[in-house]
Amino acid sequence: MIQNIVINGLINGSIYALLAIGFSLIFGVARIVNIAHTAFYMLAAYFIYVGFQYLGMSPYVAMPLAVLAVGVLAIICYKLFIDPIREHEAAVLIATIALAMVIQEALLIGFGGHYLGVPPLIQGYAEIVGVKVTYQHLLALTVALMALFGSWLFLMKTKLGLALRATAQDREVANLMGMNEARVAMLTMGISAMIAAIAGAIVVPLFVLDPHMWMHPLIMMLAIVVLGGLGSMKGSFVGAYIMAFAEVLVVFMVPMGSFLKGSVALSIMIVVLLIRPEGLFGIAFEEER
Amino acid sequence: MKKRHMVWSILAVFWFVVSICFPAWAADEIKIGVIGPMQFTQGEGHWNGATLAAEEINKKGGVQMGNASLPIKLIKVDSNEFLSVPDATNAIELAISRHNVHFLVGGFRTEAVLVMQDIAMDNKKIFIGCGAAHPKLCERVKEDYDTYKYWFRVTPINSRFLVKVDFILLGMVAKIMAKQLNIPKIKVAIVAEKAVWADPIVGIAQKNLPKMGMEVVGVWRPSPVATDVTAELSAIQQSGANIIFTTFSSSVGITFAKQWGELKVPAAAVGINVEAQKDGFWAATGGKGNYTLTINTYARVKITDATIAFFDTYRKRFKEAPNYTAGTYEAVHILADAIEKADSLDPDKIVPMMEKTDRMGTAGRLVFDETHDVTWGPRYVTAVGTQWQNGKNMCVWPLNWEGITYEGTVPYVIPPWVVDAYKK
Amino acid sequence: MGLFGFYLRKLYTLFKGEVLVLPSRIAVFLFVLGVLSLPLFTQDPYLLRILIFTAIFALLAASWDLLSGFTGQMNFGHALFFGVAAYCTALLNLRLDFPPWLSIPLGALGAVVAGLIIGIPCLRLRGTYLALTTLAFPIILMGVVFAIPDITGGELGISGIDRLSRSRVTDYYVTTVLMLGLGFLMWKITDSKTGIIFHAIREDEVAVRASGVNTTRYKLYAFCLSGFFAGIAGGLYAHIMRTAGPSTLEVALSFQIVIWAVFGGIVSIYGPVAGVFILYPLLEFLRIMPKIRMLVFAFIVLMTLLYMPEGLIPWIRDRIEKECPRCKVRNVATRRECRICTAALD
Repeated sequence: MIQNIVINGLINGSIYALLAIGFSLIFGVARIVNIAHTAFYMLAAYFIYVGFQYLGMSPYVAMPLAVLAVGVLAIICYKLFIDPIREHEAAVLIATIALAMVIQEALLIGFGGHYLGVPPLIQGYAEIVGVKVTYQHLLALTVALMALFGSWLFLMKTKLGLALRATAQDREVANLMGMNEARVAMLTMGISAMIAAIAGAIVVPLFVLDPHMWMHPLIMMLAIVVLGGLGSMKGSFVGAYIMAFAEVLVVFMVPMGSFLKGSVALSIMIVVLLIRPEGLFGIAFEEER
Repeated sequence: MKKRHMVWSILAVFWFVVSICFPAWAADEIKIGVIGPMQFTQGEGHWNGATLAAEEINKKGGVQMGNASLPIKLIKVDSNEFLSVPDATNAIELAISRHNVHFLVGGFRTEAVLVMQDIAMDNKKIFIGCGAAHPKLCERVKEDYDTYKYWFRVTPINSRFLVKVDFILLGMVAKIMAKQLNIPKIKVAIVAEKAVWADPIVGIAQKNLPKMGMEVVGVWRPSPVATDVTAELSAIQQSGANIIFTTFSSSVGITFAKQWGELKVPAAAVGINVEAQKDGFWAATGGKGNYTLTINTYARVKITDATIAFFDTYRKRFKEAPNYTAGTYEAVHILADAIEKADSLDPDKIVPMMEKTDRMGTAGRLVFDETHDVTWGPRYVTAVGTQWQNGKNMCVWPLNWEGITYEGTVPYVIPPWVVDAYKK
Repeated sequence: MGLFGFYLRKLYTLFKGEVLVLPSRIAVFLFVLGVLSLPLFTQDPYLLRILIFTAIFALLAASWDLLSGFTGQMNFGHALFFGVAAYCTALLNLRLDFPPWLSIPLGALGAVVAGLIIGIPCLRLRGTYLALTTLAFPIILMGVVFAIPDITGGELGISGIDRLSRSRVTDYYVTTVLMLGLGFLMWKITDSKTGIIFHAIREDEVAVRASGVNTTRYKLYAFCLSGFFAGIAGGLYAHIMRTAGPSTLEVALSFQIVIWAVFGGIVSIYGPVAGVFILYPLLEFLRIMPKIRMLVFAFIVLMTLLYMPEGLIPWIRDRIEKECPRCKVRNVATRRECRICTAALD
């Protein structure tokens, strides 16, 4: 039982973490609450489905292509719809909601409300300390951890990562230091969407695709970033695992109430916020103090 | 010259007045509103079934009324009921007051159908449900006959009978497993999505299974839209269950079957899994849903003489097996028959004729009971059990049940990995 | 007769001085007149039904504006108030046989209690934290609804509620008059001292606190007020639909409210009302192309925001009216000098 909880919690947590980090990044850098974030995640999943099912691509080709395509698309969307109204916070919010709706409806028109699936990359399962885990789940865990590590390397060790972090910390000073804030924001949008797309690519063989699959992860992701502290990468990471383990614990401890797993996880978030209003690792932003 | 103008205009005015005063006379076609979530499989089923029936009737020259024969015209009404219930009510109101539909068929999400039912009843429109299984929809007919008599249900069977069939299927599989694998006492894990319609099934299962000589090892209630049930599956395997008794109507059915097959959980999956009724199930689970057994409305076996022909036409035309929302096919036919018998479009005259319906339909012999619900039982509509066997959804029940076997039914197959797990 | 004539003349002067001076007020006046007189021209049940829902949602969107627009307490879970009130109203009507005129206000009080319950933990949160936390409440409540199906009816909801009234036209008048009346009340509240404090809290909470105002109390007050008005909308909805189901708590509804309000223009009360009166019938109109209906809808919203990021109504208002730089009174755009203080308008 404990093994089950640990393994399932780790897998779900890693996927949540990938989503939350991307969201945190764009919020930190550009102060955009990007509701369409998980819509990009869904879009990547559908791109892979199309590449695999209709174009006969190998999944290993389809996946990187989809991730790239989503990144480019996100930048285009950003340039067209969000950048011109950046100063109007409420308008940006609605623009991202409307964008998510557009993506959802476009997929609904294209594929209908059917449930679709992509077969796993590798078949079979392994038994780890008595728990059956599919190879696909293990692969997902590995890729997710690698992607997380990659994101960390990118943020900590590259020049662009430094620029992102600097802008996230203080936009005005970063601008004064000669960083092109607008360009950094645009790139961040692309990068965060690509991280979401990687998460989408990871879940494609595991989950069922339908045009509403962005809703549940969206809510969990928002809860995670609030729990961890907005704009904090470490917070998103820790928050993701807390939420995932909360969900898994509910399933195992109260099987009759496993439909409540989302509610319980969200309640935990609220309890944490009652004690620490800025989240676990939140930084009080200059203008919001 | 002037005189002729006068005559013409008087005639025109007269015609205008008459057509306003007696709208029923002026009807030159019968309008049937097909209401459902048209962007989703359920709504497509509604529309496809009705289309087939309307085309058949129109090919024969339409519905005979008096000495005229009226063609049927279908009107597609997108209720969007999954996403917005007010939208559904607006759609039905639009169909009634703008498109002037005479009759309505369809409906899926119970929360929305309850409201749409009220609107249809207020307007005295006959509304034939093909999708929502909740008993309450038909109980209303009994409680307040004068208001709700315009409601009928064709598919699916009432959830009370659904449960009955459910247990018959479970009993059948349990018997086969006990015999073939020498299991003295069958252990059952109950997995039902968290929804009201599933609650009574869980309750009855917990009460009845011990009586049927089985042991309940646990109850799991995932969300209907859960995207991952590996946690539940690990727990089920730990509990040592031999059979998983499923109750799913949403996407979780696919998730469950996919992960069940992938993890080769050594327990047979039996019960309701609406997604497994569709042809797309095989692709959606990547073949991992093999050996899933579910209750179904249609199967390509000889339920009645009409079944196989209907099934083949439907599949050829729409590239999909009919599922229970395609019951609109029956609904339109029943309606056409009742109109011919009543010789009128007046709903109050049609309702008694509808009540007398006795039709060898595509899903069995269709007779309405006193609550205007489809009658269940041997030699009526029985529903069928279908199991996915290597890419084909085969009918496995009824097989010698109450003396009934539909031609083309095959025996149930225990998943090989379950056999392996117990043969060791 | 003379007295009557006097009052009539006085009313006319008032009308001329207060309403006819500004195009926006004329528009509001015509709008009210149009809404109230519509059933005289048509009693088409479909049209009335759409407008009834429009009125209910307009009230809802305006109540969101009171809390999130004016007070700045971004609420992403406004469906909570709506849903709680719908459920309370439904239960009161069904279990205790309360008539609609009693069950709706009591249901709204239920929403006020909900406002208090979520308001207290949210007091310490600000901005995006608040927005994202409030999003969670209706979802948690939805879990509760599913957990106790004996009371809430689970995913079926509670049905079999009394009609609001016997006829569609009465329904229409009840909802629209309530919407107009409560909308006017909300507008008045935002114009009062309390409203100014709400406004100030949004602009700079620390400064308000420093001026000796108990901001905590006012924020809670805003939550309760907004909850009450949203609750009335929820109660009306329950009686019109004759059912209260989990769809009243959905995230999609919460998002929809924000879209309506921001599209119309926040911090104005009439903006969100106008937003709903444009968008809700628009969505119905788009039924002419059923397949791409929602896509077109989302696209229209997106495009409008691109050109009018402040919302539609403020954009129009700024085109037809100017604000006096000295006394901050609004004037018709064609005027050269302020109608009150005669300062030159640019």
